[in-house]
Amino acid sequence: LTSFLEDGVCSYLKLPFGEQKKNVDESKPPLPFSASYFMFNKLSAWSRDRKVQSKLLTPADRSSRVLFQFISSYQPKYLLNPLCLFCDVLSRCFKTKEERVEIPVPESSTTVKITTYSISGTTFATRHFEIHKKDISFVPLAPHILSLTPDFSTSTLTLKWSDNGSAFPYGLDASWEIEVLRKETMEDVTRETYNSKLIHEDIIHSWNWKSDMPLECTSHYVKIRRYINITQFDGPKDWSDWSPVEVVPGKDTEPNGSGLFPQDTVVAVGSNVTFCCVHKEGQQIQRMSYGAKDYPLIRLSSRSSAIRVLNANASSASGTNIVCTMSEDWMDGAVLFVGYGPDVPKGLSCETSNFVIIKCTWKPGRATGLYKVRGTKYSLTESISGKNVSCEVNEMKKKHVCGFPVLADQKTYSFILGASNPIGQTEASLLVDLNQRVNPETPEKLTASGNSSTSVHLRWFINGSFAEIRLLCEIEISSGRSEQKVHNVSMPGGKFSNYTVQLNALHPYTKYQFRVRCSAADHFWRWSDWSGTLEYTTLEAPPTRGPDIWRERSPSGKSLRIFWKPLSLSEANGKIVSHEVSCYLLEESLEYKEVMEPSNSTEIKLGRNDCVISVVAKNHAGSSPPSRITSVELPSDNVKTDRAVAMGNGIYISWNSFPNMTCGYIVKWCHSSGSEPCSVDWQKFPSNTTDAVIKSALFRPGVRYNFSLYGCKSSGYQLLKNVTGYMKELPPKRAPNFTVEETSSDSILVKWEDMSIEDCQGFLEGYRLSFAKGEKDALKPRLLESGNPELKVKNITDLTKKSLKILDLQGKTSYQLDLQAYTAGGLSPPNSLYVVTKEDCKLNIPIN
Amino acid sequence: DSWGIFAFLCAALCNLPAVPALNGTEELGAGQSIQKTYDLTRYLEHQLRTLAGTYLNYLGPPFNEPDFNPPRLARAERVPSATVDLDLWRGLTDNARLAANYRAYSRLLCYLRGLDGQVGTVELRHRLGHFCSSLQGLVLSIAGVMSSLGYPLPAGPAGPPTPPGAPAAPNNFLKKMDDFWLLKELQTWLWRSAKDFNRLKKKVPPAVVTLRIEARGF
Repeated sequence: LTSFLEDGVCSYLKLPFGEQKKNVDESKPPLPFSASYFMFNKLSAWSRDRKVQSKLLTPADRSSRVLFQFISSYQPKYLLNPLCLFCDVLSRCFKTKEERVEIPVPESSTTVKITTYSISGTTFATRHFEIHKKDISFVPLAPHILSLTPDFSTSTLTLKWSDNGSAFPYGLDASWEIEVLRKETMEDVTRETYNSKLIHEDIIHSWNWKSDMPLECTSHYVKIRRYINITQFDGPKDWSDWSPVEVVPGKDTEPNGSGLFPQDTVVAVGSNVTFCCVHKEGQQIQRMSYGAKDYPLIRLSSRSSAIRVLNANASSASGTNIVCTMSEDWMDGAVLFVGYGPDVPKGLSCETSNFVIIKCTWKPGRATGLYKVRGTKYSLTESISGKNVSCEVNEMKKKHVCGFPVLADQKTYSFILGASNPIGQTEASLLVDLNQRVNPETPEKLTASGNSSTSVHLRWFINGSFAEIRLLCEIEISSGRSEQKVHNVSMPGGKFSNYTVQLNALHPYTKYQFRVRCSAADHFWRWSDWSGTLEYTTLEAPPTRGPDIWRERSPSGKSLRIFWKPLSLSEANGKIVSHEVSCYLLEESLEYKEVMEPSNSTEIKLGRNDCVISVVAKNHAGSSPPSRITSVELPSDNVKTDRAVAMGNGIYISWNSFPNMTCGYIVKWCHSSGSEPCSVDWQKFPSNTTDAVIKSALFRPGVRYNFSLYGCKSSGYQLLKNVTGYMKELPPKRAPNFTVEETSSDSILVKWEDMSIEDCQGFLEGYRLSFAKGEKDALKPRLLESGNPELKVKNITDLTKKSLKILDLQGKTSYQLDLQAYTAGGLSPPNSLYVVTKEDCKLNIPIN
Repeated sequence: DSWGIFAFLCAALCNLPAVPALNGTEELGAGQSIQKTYDLTRYLEHQLRTLAGTYLNYLGPPFNEPDFNPPRLARAERVPSATVDLDLWRGLTDNARLAANYRAYSRLLCYLRGLDGQVGTVELRHRLGHFCSSLQGLVLSIAGVMSSLGYPLPAGPAGPPTPPGAPAAPNNFLKKMDDFWLLKELQTWLWRSAKDFNRLKKKVPPAVVTLRIEARGF
């Protein structure tokens, strides 16, 4: 043993474990635990004052030793340069000056002798004790941190280390304990466990940790230790020592570091956020505010303080300001944007209008409260083709739109609309069969052409490629003449092409409005918008019938006036330009005239002759069939004049049946307007008719009309009777003028004048004379309105009577007399007179 | 009756785009042209009060707090400062003062136009747009006064000023601070310009101008 002594100092001896093994079996590799570390955790102390521990070191060289470590309770002066000699059972000795030594791991158990020498070289103490293998603990070496990387923008630390797995058998469970500390005082922040499996390879592990405090605020430290559950080892297992600490220094450690952190971050509503203000040496923070509120300061170091905002509310459009006010007229600030992650897009719908672009629309849902660069970004991914487009949306619009190109030979599209903002992301999906989602572009360039009066060719263009589907188009046909109609037509689709259709059964010379919209015929989805309206007028056709005609002999009987009525629009089929009037006598034309519009009558000098008159209406397309009437007027006698009945909206006329009138009846009347000669009008009735209500827009209430009823025979027309009447009777315009013819003491004789037909406004039925005592005084109420009990009324219904004597009056008394005329329409306004009766000459002798 | 004045000014401003560069001032005469510029300045002062209120509210506290008085950070110097010693300012010639006004508003206008794109709300963007056109009118109006007084326009930004190559603010807070200082400087400039034009108005009464025009006629 003394051979290890060198100058009175213990030397350190290592013996490889392998040397011992060679004696057993050279071909076998070292035992599994040979690459591991061991520690005696339970030793029978060779001295009560000393503990001896052992560890196996350095796995890399695959040698195993037991490390003895002395923890001495001796005073240091005794321990100064102690010399120690360890000898195991094989008499292998290890000399050390330290309080530790490594010896090989024993096979099962071994006895160790430890001798301590004093400085002078004499033996100080010697002890023997036994080590059992099961008493040796397995303690891995402390792991080594490869890197600790900060990401300041996300306040994230990334730790990397190797598991040295190649030194261990395959499949061992390893646990790693990582501790994060912060501030100069190294306060614990978190301790986390990370589990892995050793696969007999050196694997580099990575662990991320997001700090609730920006990394700039103060220094952050990380250390790691490990535990390996080595199943082949009998003894207890324990955690390794901690690795050396790695540090991410805070801004407060930089000589000129300052600022407010974090800057321009975006967080979700309800988040807790820590802000810190790092300043230069010598400055003092006066206050820190978030929004409008000051927050209590949390001191991190002499150059850094923080505030903690809990449950942050949504910020306004420009973000919430955090301000750090310092002494020395200095200020720092930051803006925090608090909002929501994007909502799941609502009502995603995709369709195509042209088979070039698929247009997808959706509503964004709840507002995120974030705008511009922080606003929600949308992307549309089609998972069958794997294509992806990003969407430019207008934040201001309620409905968002994104276009996706139609792909060749693809009909089914599986869309995923992704929405993302700095807080989060969502998506909505939609499976679309494009042929079932066609909403064609609006038809345009609608034109019409045609060379017929009853049909038209419509032509339009649709800007889209519909070659693979059929289109169903709806044509709306409007005209002033008939109800709006819709015409549906199905046609094969084309590639950016024109479409034509012929419309039949139209009316000639009619202004039509056409418009078109289209949809997919086989799978209806939506109609396109209506095209613009096209106005088109069909060509003219000859008038369908001749005009309704009448004729009248002049009073002299030498000429004949022929009247015709205008054709209705549907009969005229165009613009009537003239009427041809001719007069025939037994196939011989006596007279021919072309009368230009707008005349509706003409005169033929006929002398005393008669003829058959023919009238033809002409437009640009041709002539109507002729209308004919004979000029012959059959003699009639004993023509009576009847009264017609006013119907309010027309005039009722009736007549007896005349069996020999074989071709019906004609009622003729005349409208007079002012001084102009009256204009003739007429109406025809079949032979079985015996009454009619004559209506005309020209009839006015209170105007008397005279009608003539003619019967029609094959030989000519015969006047049957005259009828006079009103559409509506009105009260007379005024009362007749009346005068007092004579007065006596008890009577007054009044006379009145005839009234004109115009003043009567109806058939005059009688007069009403009212009288009562009364004086001429404008202030007193009028006689007729007063309800005077003395009022007396005389009703004169005999229209031939033009005077009346009022009797039984008082003498020398003033009377008021009111005269009114009346018709079925009512009473006229009164004419009033005041009369004073003469003085009574007689004595008042009562009779009887 | 201040409403009446503003109504008149508004009506006057509506016609501004129709009078590019106010070439008509030659015929108006310097006195009237100064009066118009003065009126416009007062109108802008009023308009800015409303705009600044809305804009500072948009920036949020503490920018909209009445006693907010931040230290002028070095960055803010890129906005032309109106903080000049009053005696020094008064000591300048009319020409120099007008030129300084012209230059300042040309630059301020650039920055103001820069605000437009960033602002989140539509209404505020609209208001800013309106104020910018008014301020553009003032720049042109000052040019008109200078030409009517026979002063050359200062070299540099003439007509539509080109944006200076100042770097954008590195973060949102400093951007807000820039905006704050822009509005504050604008306020000070307008306040002082009103005084400048008032003084100039007294110096160049309309009668003198009439005489000058008559003299030209000979």
